[in-house]
Amino acid sequence: MMHIALVGNPNTGKTSLFNQLTGTYEYVGNWSGVTVEKKVGVLRSKKAKMIDLPGVYSLHPLSRDERVVTQFLLTESFDEILNIVDASQLERNLLLTVQLLEFGKPLTVALNMVDVAERRGIFIDQAKLAEALRVPVVPVIARTGKGCDQIEHTLLEKVTGQTEPFTLFYGEAMERAIERFIASWGTEEQFPVRWLAIQFYEGNSYVRDYVAEKWPEATWRSLYEQAEKEVRHTEQMSLAQFIYEKRRSFVKEVIEQVVQRTEIGQVTLTDRIDAVVTNKYIGIPLFLLAMYMLFQLTFDWLGAPLSDLLDGFFAGPLTDSVTAMLEAIGASEFIRALVVDGVIAGVGGVLVFVPQIFILFFFISFLEDSGYMARVALVMDRLMEAVGLNGKAFIPLIIGFGCNVPGVMAARTIEQPRERLVTTLLTPLMSCSARLPVYALFVGAFFAAHQAIVVLSLYVLGISLALILAKLFSLTILKEETSVFVVELPPYRMPQWQALWRSTWDKGKGFVKKAGTFIFGGSVAIWLLSYVGPHGVNVNMDDSFLAIIGGILAPLLAPLGFGTWQAGAALLTGFLAKEVVVSTMNIIYHVPDVESLQGLMATHFTPLSAFSFMVFVLLYVPCLATVATIYKETSSRKWTMFSIGYALVLAYIVSFVIYQVGGLFGF
Amino acid sequence: MVAMTQLRVGERAKIVDLSQVSDLVKRRLLDMGVTEGAEICLKCTMPLGGPFMIENCGQCVGIRRHEAMNIQVKPL
Ligand SMILES: Nc1nc2c(ncn2[C@@H]2O[C@H](COP(=O)(O)OP(=O)(O)OP(=O)(O)O)[C@@H](O)[C@H]2O)c(=O)[nH]1
Ligand SMILES: [Mg+2]
Repeated sequence: MMHIALVGNPNTGKTSLFNQLTGTYEYVGNWSGVTVEKKVGVLRSKKAKMIDLPGVYSLHPLSRDERVVTQFLLTESFDEILNIVDASQLERNLLLTVQLLEFGKPLTVALNMVDVAERRGIFIDQAKLAEALRVPVVPVIARTGKGCDQIEHTLLEKVTGQTEPFTLFYGEAMERAIERFIASWGTEEQFPVRWLAIQFYEGNSYVRDYVAEKWPEATWRSLYEQAEKEVRHTEQMSLAQFIYEKRRSFVKEVIEQVVQRTEIGQVTLTDRIDAVVTNKYIGIPLFLLAMYMLFQLTFDWLGAPLSDLLDGFFAGPLTDSVTAMLEAIGASEFIRALVVDGVIAGVGGVLVFVPQIFILFFFISFLEDSGYMARVALVMDRLMEAVGLNGKAFIPLIIGFGCNVPGVMAARTIEQPRERLVTTLLTPLMSCSARLPVYALFVGAFFAAHQAIVVLSLYVLGISLALILAKLFSLTILKEETSVFVVELPPYRMPQWQALWRSTWDKGKGFVKKAGTFIFGGSVAIWLLSYVGPHGVNVNMDDSFLAIIGGILAPLLAPLGFGTWQAGAALLTGFLAKEVVVSTMNIIYHVPDVESLQGLMATHFTPLSAFSFMVFVLLYVPCLATVATIYKETSSRKWTMFSIGYALVLAYIVSFVIYQVGGLFGF
Repeated sequence: MVAMTQLRVGERAKIVDLSQVSDLVKRRLLDMGVTEGAEICLKCTMPLGGPFMIENCGQCVGIRRHEAMNIQVKPL
């Protein structure tokens, strides 16, 4: 099957187009760096495979997500490039197109965002553009799907008449240098050696490593230095700058021919929103207010009533009808107990929180798709600078509120390796949606009057600790690195309902899926462990294996205020996924619904120890999926172990302090 | 010719010299089309020495204050 790679600048609608063409859903959002890894899909017509890649400004990578693209071009085999070009920012987009044309693969240009360009008074003559670049150009609006049929058509029918490869003339001195490189390279490559030469001289770090694998350092260094000297002599510029200028003047010429501008001269909506959102004085308060509203809606105003309804349904009609059904088919008492006390209590206890979690994801999706995310990076940069990171690190943290896994992945777009590492390590401190059921359970039981504020305090605690640790880490492990911050601020876009829903569902379905797999399996296992003990089956739970296992931990947890085997067992299982803590508690306390569980818990916890327990759950270890992602991203066992270790230590210390100090004040 | 930090919010200027800016930041600025000769407009600044937001050809970019200090511009 044919393989088509999607390449283009960040935030130009590559993934939107990919979704339209393949009929799937991958992560879309209105900021640069949404896609951070390669994604493969099949065209609706099943005739070719599409590969969605992270956005890049040039083929010379600075960050890890950008590296994915250069690596893909050099090492993987594919047949065509679909280059997405943002019609409203033609100049910088075409700078990349030139490099892709030099790469010599058949290429089609998808001219995206024509609606945005038109609104700004930019009109592009696509026929002329096609002529200037000598490749097909198709205008599209990836957001609505307009022009997608034509793209597919163009992609599939071409690759017939092999035209001569595109070459840009870089001037005498540079051309001589390119020829020298080609002559000494010798071997054939899957791509033009001329492209390799130009990228090498431009200082592309990935290409340099590629070259260094074949040549000893002396060889490539002398080639490079000779070229640098000659160009500096004739042009008074560095090599990289010279190559950039050459491309730019070509692009300028093309633009002159194909673009028509009419002055619209009106203040855009984005300008008007930015005047408020990034206002010097109200920018930060506004961000905090937005976050506060998000919590109120999720916990108080909207989410809590919906969850209560669902809880009523699980505990009442569902349990009754399942019991009746099991009786009707003559199931044994063992089966009944397994289904009702194990599965419904465990899985249902977590599914109850689906409404709250979807509301949270809905708002996160809204933030992502509106364009506010990049503004948050800008607004928070000063604070992040103070702790040695940069504003862009705030994006992974916010995504981490939904789920830590994509949060950790989002750290890829941070340019400096150590800043990226620190962000990766700290993202798990963000209170993800899986911890929410635990809070909901406890605040309902102990802090009914102040639910939202108590939960908010946990979120704030997570962020504050992340910032303090960032400062600590930046004084130790990332001492000698200067932080870099340049962020692109996209225009605001009103998210479409359909896109919002897709994005909410895409995030939320993971939670529902976990309920069907991890939590289901975990519930069955926990129930079994609580059902059997060393002295037989159907034992008193205090004599079960679960009590023995949990009991080992209990003395350790006593100084934190919850030294019971129940808490120990729940925390142990919570490493799988933090929601399992709730499933375990539901099963252990053996109650039909959340309400009666909350009543029962009052005998095992005090408000202070409940708070201490929530703090411990917030901090203690990243869940299994997050640990796996941290390992994948850092490719270091040491840092993965560190992420678990520091979290445990931190959780213990903080919970200890809260419980002991709180006790002194008589709570 | 003045440093970008001297501009008032809303003022337009032409970039004259980027040579004092650190390499990585310069690369990123070039990527986004902010080069010598480009016309920019200072959109807003953040308090307590926070970042600057500039606009170039309809594209907004945020940079840190101390980088902006190293960018020489000519007000228009
Ligand atoms: N108005 C308009 N918006 C579009 C169009 N295509 C995409 N968008 C929006 O542009 C934003 C970015 O889309 P993505 O598909 O995530 O862009 P991307 O190129 O994959 O971005 P990265 O993965 O960050 O490189 C989203 O908010 C889209 O809804 C279009 O043709 N017109
Ligand atoms: Mg994408």
